[in-house]
Amino acid sequence: ILHCFLFLLVFGRAIHAIARISDEFWFDPVEKGLALRSVNSSRSAYAYVFFSSMFFQHYCWTAVSQPCQKEKQLSLPCKLIIKSVLPVFRSVNVLERNVEKCSIYTNINDHHITFQLLCKHGVVKTYNLTFQECDPLQAVFAKHMCPNILKVHSRLLADTMIHFPTSQEEVTLSVTPLKVCFKSYTEEDTDFSKTMLTEIQLNPEEFDYFQVGVDSEVTFCLKELRGLLAFSEATSVPVSIHFDVSGKPVAFSIEDTVLEASFILATLCGIEKETASQQPPCFSQRQESNAAAVASKKPQWNGNAPNTEPAKPASPLAKQEVKNIPRVREREVPGTEGAALTEAEDYAMLEGEAAESHSQKVRRLPVVLTVENLGWFSYFYKYCIFQFHSLFFGAVSCTEKDAISHTFHSLATASDTEEDFGSSQV
Amino acid sequence: MRFRAKIVDLACLNHFSRVINTIAKLAKTCTLCLTDSKLYFILSDKVANGGVSMWCELCQGNFFDEFQMEGVAAEHNEIYLELVPENLSRALKTAQSAKAVKIKLTNKHCPCLRVAVELPSLSSSSRIVTHDIPVGVVPRRLWNDFREPSVPDFDVSIYLPVLKTMKSVVERMKNLSNSIVIEANLSGEMNLKIETDLVSVTTHFKDLGNPAWASEHGCQSSAQGRDLESMAEARIDIKKLQQLLAGQQVNPTKALCNILSKRIVHFILLHEDVSLQYFIPALA
Repeated sequence: ILHCFLFLLVFGRAIHAIARISDEFWFDPVEKGLALRSVNSSRSAYAYVFFSSMFFQHYCWTAVSQPCQKEKQLSLPCKLIIKSVLPVFRSVNVLERNVEKCSIYTNINDHHITFQLLCKHGVVKTYNLTFQECDPLQAVFAKHMCPNILKVHSRLLADTMIHFPTSQEEVTLSVTPLKVCFKSYTEEDTDFSKTMLTEIQLNPEEFDYFQVGVDSEVTFCLKELRGLLAFSEATSVPVSIHFDVSGKPVAFSIEDTVLEASFILATLCGIEKETASQQPPCFSQRQESNAAAVASKKPQWNGNAPNTEPAKPASPLAKQEVKNIPRVREREVPGTEGAALTEAEDYAMLEGEAAESHSQKVRRLPVVLTVENLGWFSYFYKYCIFQFHSLFFGAVSCTEKDAISHTFHSLATASDTEEDFGSSQV
Repeated sequence: MRFRAKIVDLACLNHFSRVINTIAKLAKTCTLCLTDSKLYFILSDKVANGGVSMWCELCQGNFFDEFQMEGVAAEHNEIYLELVPENLSRALKTAQSAKAVKIKLTNKHCPCLRVAVELPSLSSSSRIVTHDIPVGVVPRRLWNDFREPSVPDFDVSIYLPVLKTMKSVVERMKNLSNSIVIEANLSGEMNLKIETDLVSVTTHFKDLGNPAWASEHGCQSSAQGRDLESMAEARIDIKKLQQLLAGQQVNPTKALCNILSKRIVHFILLHEDVSLQYFIPALA
């Protein structure tokens, strides 16, 4: 049961930022605060915003007792359709002027979350939204293992991104120890006579913190980032960028005493192209079309996976393929899946995520795996244009007892983790 | 073929941006002609444009601090480039506080106009934003398509009413009809008329004044013999007129139109350093 009042502008911006990732989000109140999480349909972007209880004027959380009570009880997180929540926080600027208080109540039995806005002149707006119970979602990303870390005020990032047209899908961040630049993404078959390219060069001195361990060029989806930029401007907390070489995810995060947020985006890793396809350079499109191409070989995860509606298919090619993404059962038996995941899970543990090293906690919380660690996936992915490293989300039911032998109820499909190992043709 | 230019003065930069924004609203693609002393933005009257044509002339000295160009050959010292003005507009949009803007013709993957904006930054070195705008080089054999259009022997020449007023009138009329009739006479009266099955609306303007140049222009006989009250009219596409009026970001020093009855309406908008001519043909 959650009951809190809150700073509308910041909260509203957080919702808007998450809305850019997906249509629905996980609403997860815990004792320490409220966590909001979202992942996009192609699993290439994950957003996490956490408001500590101190952010709210009043925060009251009580655990709901559940039959299995081995560890500290999590109240069951729930999933909300974001479209229903957005209207509540629509024009945040206007809201701030008119709304005096906002409270959020949850009632687990009723499957309702109530947002109540107490406005001026005695007007009270109440929104009752139904939620679905679901397995928890969490991505774990080893930020401290990243060789490249940049920290900069959100104003600078916003000022940089403003030079790109709003229709720009993908942007490449290129760093060396001496310089930084953001540029429009181009690939070999870009029609240069039709596209306008933009490049912004920044001086490392402009950054609050600048560490470049390895020269790299990472390409990520700008649209998904814009939400975080607006949100961080509202909080005026500097943005940290953690990344590695191309292909590994990039994390944009902000952190202060009462809130933290992370947007983790998959990055492109260009390898040899398959000559036949004419895929347009957009993440979700490419992933979906690649997914269709490898549909028959996709490993299928159990669980209430949200449907993979493509984000914004702009090309007709992508559109028709999207319709045919079947949820095909993987050939391997669940046992193997579980075992394989276990390896990965171990890996995740070995990665040294301090917070997750406790075996009990790992058992309960889902694990994020980067594809490259799971060699066995390579078997399935020979049709693709570019290699994606994206985040995996496995969900674990809290009733699991044994870390090693259970099967993961995963919310993710592995379809977004195509790897083109040219040599390993099956 | 080489071209490089630089703008350092903020006021000039803003003025130039405004001109480009106006052009961008009028044409999706157009031809840029560069000569030693002038820049021309040209839209020729092809069917694809709906028959409208545009001729916009700028004096480079009024905008650029540095301007060097080298045409195809010595006796043809001109460069004709086909481009999307919206791209140029976008590149300049975020240059509002720039220290300098440099424009250069380059040919990396394909011919481009490279716009490099130097922005102030917190650190010692400036932030540089580069936009590569793809352009098409127009070959010399096609240059004749882009000559300055000759001004037709019009029937009436009249100054336009305040553009803002005219714009709001036309905008409202646009919701009711696809075509509009402009009629004017040599007594400074102009009417904007629309007529549909349900309604007809006419807006009357008077005391607009007629420019004196009719007598210089060689169509003396027709102008002199013409009855001062008689209206010359043309029915034109209302959207084109609305585009022209909506695109004006700054009030021109002089705004006038020439009407050749049932054939064409020729608009001339003059600013200090820029002249814009826009031809809208009459509908059948």
